[in-house]
Amino acid sequence: MKVRMIGCSHHTASVELRERLAFNPMQAKAALRRFRETFPRAEAVLLSTCNRVEVYTAFDEPDDEPSHEQVAAFLAGCHGLALYDVFDDLFERTGDDAVRHLFSVAASLDSMVLGEPHILAQVKQAYQLATQENSTGPLTHAIFQAAVKVARRVTNETSLHQKRVSIPSVAVADFAAQVFERFDDKQVLVIGAGEMADETLRYLREAGARQLIIVNRSYERARDLAQQWEGRVAPWEALLGELVRADLVVSTTGAAQPVVTLANYRQIEAQRYQRPSLGLDLAIPRDFEPAIGECLQVFLYSLDDLQAACRRNRQERDAEMPQALAIVEEETARFMAELHHRSTGPVIQQLKQGWQAPKAEELRRLFNKLPQLDERARAEVEQSFDRLLNKLLHPPLETLRDEARHGIPHALLDAFKRLFQLMD
Amino acid sequence: MIERIQILCFAASYGVALALEISRLWFRSGVRGAVMWVFAGAGFVAHTLYLWHRTQLTDGPLSSPFDWYLLAAWLLALVYLSLAFWRPRSAIGLFLLPLVLALIGVAALLADRTPLEVNRATRAWGALHGAFLLLGTVAVFVGFAAGIMYLLHAYRLKHKLPQRRGLQLPSLEWLERVNSRAISLAIVMLLLGVLSGAVLNTVRPELPWTDPIVVSSLLTVAWLITVALFVAVYKPARRGRKVAYLTVASFLFLVFSLGVALLLNTKHASLPERRGPVAPAARLARGQRADSTDRRGAA
Repeated sequence: MKVRMIGCSHHTASVELRERLAFNPMQAKAALRRFRETFPRAEAVLLSTCNRVEVYTAFDEPDDEPSHEQVAAFLAGCHGLALYDVFDDLFERTGDDAVRHLFSVAASLDSMVLGEPHILAQVKQAYQLATQENSTGPLTHAIFQAAVKVARRVTNETSLHQKRVSIPSVAVADFAAQVFERFDDKQVLVIGAGEMADETLRYLREAGARQLIIVNRSYERARDLAQQWEGRVAPWEALLGELVRADLVVSTTGAAQPVVTLANYRQIEAQRYQRPSLGLDLAIPRDFEPAIGECLQVFLYSLDDLQAACRRNRQERDAEMPQALAIVEEETARFMAELHHRSTGPVIQQLKQGWQAPKAEELRRLFNKLPQLDERARAEVEQSFDRLLNKLLHPPLETLRDEARHGIPHALLDAFKRLFQLMD
Repeated sequence: MIERIQILCFAASYGVALALEISRLWFRSGVRGAVMWVFAGAGFVAHTLYLWHRTQLTDGPLSSPFDWYLLAAWLLALVYLSLAFWRPRSAIGLFLLPLVLALIGVAALLADRTPLEVNRATRAWGALHGAFLLLGTVAVFVGFAAGIMYLLHAYRLKHKLPQRRGLQLPSLEWLERVNSRAISLAIVMLLLGVLSGAVLNTVRPELPWTDPIVVSSLLTVAWLITVALFVAVYKPARRGRKVAYLTVASFLFLVFSLGVALLLNTKHASLPERRGPVAPAARLARGQRADSTDRRGAA
C-alpha cells in the first residue's frame, strides 16, 4: 500500500505556472478518466485550486505505481505542456508525508491565507469528483475522509478559522456581526461600486443581507453591481435620504473629499431616532468625516481600524499554528498506524482461519469418544477450545500490531507466512 | 436523600460554574463549556429538588421571603442555562451567575425571617402578589445583566478596543432586544405585583400604609411608570444605551426596595425575635428538618 502526492502549490510554483496547470471541473473529469485509462490499478484524486494543483495517488502493489516522471508528464500533457516546462516546479510527498500534507491542506494550514475556510470545500469537491469518476478506492476513501475529519478537529479545537484576515471579511464578521444579530432585516447602503464594494457585498450576502442599496456617482456601475447582488440602486443625490434608512453603511469610493461630512450627518441625525448605525469606511482618503463617529449610536470604523483587526487576527492565527500542527501530526500517526495495521489484515485472517480446521477436527474426534456429553457440555468444550486458540494467537498478533505502528512489518509478515505456511 | 440537599450544594455548583466562566478570560479549553454546563445543570437539579422539598414542608414556593428569593434564583439559573446552551461562546454567565448567587445569598440571610400569616381569603392574592413580583424581579435582573453587557460592549465598539479573550458578548442588537423586552415585562409584572399587594392589604390589613416596604415599593412603581411614559413618548429611549441605562436604574430601584425589606424591620417579613423560635426556613437552611406544625405562609 502506498500513498503519494505530486503537484505544485503557491510555495513552489509561480502564479503563471499554476494558472497553466489549473483544471476546471470538466478538465478534471477528463484528466481523471485519462489517468485511470493509463494507470488502471491506481487510485487518484485531483485537487486543483488557485493556489495548488496536486494529484493524490494510491496503490496496493508497488508494481502498479507510476514513476514521478510519468505523473509529471501526465499533468503537463493534460494542458499540452512539455515535461521540462513543469518538472522543476513539481514536488512529491510519499507515505506519511503525503498524508500529513493532505491533512494540512484540508485544515488550511498550507493555504496562502492561513485558516481560510474555502479549501476544505475544495478538497471535498475534488474527492467527490474523483468518486463520481470511479478513480477512488479504499485507500483514497480512507485518506480523504480522514482529511475532512482532521480539518473539522482543527476547526473545533483551535480558533484558527474564527479569525478572518481579509478587510471585507473582517468588516462583516468582526465588526458588523458585533452590532447586528441578523442582516436579513437590515438596510445595507453601499457607497461606491468598485472592487472592495463587490467583495464586501459578497460577505454581506453570505451573512444574510437582503436589502442592499448601492449608490455611486456613476449610476451605470451602481446598477451593474446592484444587478449582480440583487440589490437596489439609488441616485447619488438620494445619498442622505438613504443614510436615514440605512443600518449598515459601507463606503468604498475613490473621492478625494469626504462624501459625508459632519454637517451632512447632523441634518439627518434627528430622523434616525438614535437607531444604531454602523459605518465601515473602506475608502482612502476616508469617505466619512471622522467626527461623525462621535455622534450618538454611530459606530464608525476606518480602513486603519479594520487593518489593525486583521493584523491582530493574523497574529492570533499564527499563535494557533503549533496546536493545529500537533493535531495534524497526531492524526497522521494514527492514520498511518491504521493503514499499516490494515496491511497485516490478510495474514491475521489467514492465521485465524488456518486454525479453525484443526480445531473442528479435534472437537469432532473428542465428541465421538465422549458421546455421553450433552449440548451444554459440548458448548463448554467448544468455548474452551476457542479460548485456548485465542490465547495461543494473542502474543504473535499483538507483536504484529505493535510492529505495524512503525510501518508495514514486511519481515515479520514473511516470517509468519513461512512459520505457519500461509499462502499469498 | 432530598432532605440532605442544602443551599450550599447548589450554591457551590453555581460557584464552580462561575469560576469556570471567569477562567475564560485567561485560557481556552475545549471541554470547559461542557463542564460548566454540567456543574450549572447539577446545581439547577439540586436547586429544583430543594425547592420541591420545601413545597412539601411549607405552604408553597412563595410562602416566605426565603423561598421567594430561592425561586427567583432558580428562574435566573434557568435563564442562564438556556443562554449557555444556545450561546455557548458568549460570556453571559459572567453577568448572570453572580446575580444567581446574590439571590441565593439574600435567601440565606432571610432564612430566619417570619413571614406573614395567611388565611383563605388572602391566600390567592398573596400567591399572585408573590408571583408577579417574582417574575418582575427576574425580568429586572435579566435586563440588568443585558444592560451591563450592552454598555460594556457598546463602549468597546465605540472606542475601538480589541475584544478581550473569553469576553465575547452577544451583538448589540440582541442585547438591546433583551433589554427592551425585560424592562417591558418588568414594568407590567412589578405594577401588577404592587397592585395585588395593595388589594391584599385592603382585604386584610396587615401592613400600615407607611410601612417602609410599602413606601419603597410605591417609589419603585413611580419610577416604573415614569420609565413607561418616557419610553412611550420619547422614541430614542427604546434604543441602545438609553434602554440599558433604564434597566440598570430599574435594577437599582428594585435593589433599594428589596434592601428595605432586608435591612429595616418591616411587618412584611419581620426580623427574628432575639430568643424566639427559629423559623422553619432557617432550620432547613441549616440542614434541620422543619416541623409541619410551624407551617405559615404569606408572600
